[in-house]
Amino acid sequence: MIQAQVTMSSEQLNNHQSKPGQEFVFPQGIAGFPDATRFGFIYEGIGDMVCMQSIEQPDAAFVLTPWDVERLGQPPKLNVEQCKSLALKDASEVMWMLVLNPFADQEWVTANLKAPIALSESSRRGFQLIRPESEHELRFRWMPQPKRK
Amino acid sequence: MMVLRRKVGEAIRINDNIKIVVQEVQNGKVVRFGIEAPADIPVHRLEIFEQIQAENRAASSADALGWLKGDSHDSGTSHDE
Repeated sequence: MIQAQVTMSSEQLNNHQSKPGQEFVFPQGIAGFPDATRFGFIYEGIGDMVCMQSIEQPDAAFVLTPWDVERLGQPPKLNVEQCKSLALKDASEVMWMLVLNPFADQEWVTANLKAPIALSESSRRGFQLIRPESEHELRFRWMPQPKRK
Repeated sequence: MMVLRRKVGEAIRINDNIKIVVQEVQNGKVVRFGIEAPADIPVHRLEIFEQIQAENRAASSADALGWLKGDSHDSGTSHDE
């Protein structure tokens, strides 16, 4: 079982810092991992990427990066019920992250634009927003695969 | 699988808190449903949900942290396409 180490610090993560031992709760789980509801974040000082790993189910571990407004435009807007599920007072409190897939393509790390992650630092809740519109790419070419040593 | 016949305007109740109403049948092929469910119960089109399930599984790995640690990559910070 991993420790819920929560430390995300980089310019793009707005120097987000959280105390160790505090995890984010995803009440609905993550699609494909319904039993994974508690996640720790582990930042290893690699650019703006962070590992989100389930505390109950360590193989549910994802590489996330912040939503990039310059490249993608404004992030999705949450409706009232979605704000409630994050216990938000204000939708602007949401931190949007993208799930990266480093394993699907030899040349590219891809980003799932169809299902970004919404996090609330204040309530320490999160969920994965599934966007049904067809224009959102499941495997958007996010960055070339890093060079291997 | 349970199979029920319903006409337009009729509904199905699941548990105490989920109601599915047949709103319209278009050209005998496309059915529009109205769904009332608590906010904490996610409702999705099956094919979209299955896409996301599959992609999450493909993107997830117990070695995600190892990949991120960059044992074998030099920066990982470039977003240039």
